[in-house]
Amino acid sequence: MKQENKLKGRDLINVGIYTAIYFVIMLAVAMLGMIPIFLPLLSVIVPILGGIPFMLFLTKVKKPGMIFIMAMIMGIMMLLTGMGPWPLLTCAVAGILAEIIYRSGEYKSAKKAVLAYAVFSMWIWGNYLPLFTDYEGYFAQRESYGQAYIEAVQKLMPLWMAPVLLAVCFVCGILGGILGRALLKKHFEKAGIA
Amino acid sequence: MAYSSAAAQGKRKSFLDPRTKIALVVILALFVLGSLGGPRMEPVKTGLSALPFLLLLLEKQWRRFLRGLVMLEVGYGLLGALPYLPGTLNFIALMCGGILTRFVVTIVMGEYLISTTSVSEFISAMERLRMPQAITIPMSVMFRLFPTIQAEWKSIRRAMGMRGIHLGGARAGQVLEYQMVPMMTSSVRIGEDLSASALTRGLGAPVKRTNICRIGFRAQDIVLLLLCLAVIILWLIGFFGVNLW
Repeated sequence: MKQENKLKGRDLINVGIYTAIYFVIMLAVAMLGMIPIFLPLLSVIVPILGGIPFMLFLTKVKKPGMIFIMAMIMGIMMLLTGMGPWPLLTCAVAGILAEIIYRSGEYKSAKKAVLAYAVFSMWIWGNYLPLFTDYEGYFAQRESYGQAYIEAVQKLMPLWMAPVLLAVCFVCGILGGILGRALLKKHFEKAGIA
Repeated sequence: MAYSSAAAQGKRKSFLDPRTKIALVVILALFVLGSLGGPRMEPVKTGLSALPFLLLLLEKQWRRFLRGLVMLEVGYGLLGALPYLPGTLNFIALMCGGILTRFVVTIVMGEYLISTTSVSEFISAMERLRMPQAITIPMSVMFRLFPTIQAEWKSIRRAMGMRGIHLGGARAGQVLEYQMVPMMTSSVRIGEDLSASALTRGLGAPVKRTNICRIGFRAQDIVLLLLCLAVIILWLIGFFGVNLW
């Protein structure tokens, strides 16, 4: 039993494939964050779109550790793309929780999969933390973007938005998970890769 | 943005050790892209920004050097033109300029890392750093897949655009289903081929892998690593109120 639970080369390659797809989708969407209105909306769009690759990924997850590794790699990638060390922390927490939830469904329960994805999505919140933990400093750095930009963002992101965004990540994670499941049934199972 | 194979690299050994390159990418990502330390680190940031361009020149990567320089200039040009632009145009210029000035330097550094390091060198460096396989295998798969996914997505977008399925087209609502699903299907297929080929070559086998790449620190590596260390120390002493300028 112990032997079967060990991650093999193939599992790790699978983690790499799906993390790459998830990351590319996230990066394409994240560029929109330069427009002020999209900054809070990222916590809506990313969980919903990310649900598609993640649900597909979960069909390959049969052993403990894979979700956590994916979360940690996302954290490292966020560090490398300049989001600072906060996402690494939220990724670790969200990854462990998602792992526990999906494991409690013995890696096949559809409901648990959606829930695990919703919890996993909460790592995105870490990207907002540099703004909320150092409100003044964050805007001081972005002076070159012009006063109009700073005012627009400040209006959209008052401090009380921090817990709201965390909740939004979770709710949209559920929606994304359901969307992912639906597309899984409609397309990927037919194509034979789910 | 393809990985340079050992053959493409010729006999010439890269100027820097892969570990130094990784350290530089991390430092640049933290301080230039992530603006760690805020305005206090501004002069350091400017100095660090020049580094990847210098390295590209040293490795004779003229095209990448020029491309990076042009992108950076365009970015600053756009930001400089902001006050003279009207409403909508202003936001577009801000978006493009902001993205360019923030990301180009680190992207150039990343390009330098990828174009001058072969996968074997990268893996051997990661092994020396005692990174667990659980991180190195997925990461190397990812970097191998990025250009592939990009190419796939581009051609699928083109094919679907012909049928009016694109943002702003008549059937924009179907973008999600008919662009992302095929993109993912083909990426997964390619990934599975990749996985089969890597497994036949013994990836993930229970024995310790050997590597023919010779990597090692030389004088230039030590200088640059000391530079990284100096940047970190500068940042840390800032917490105690020490400011050098």
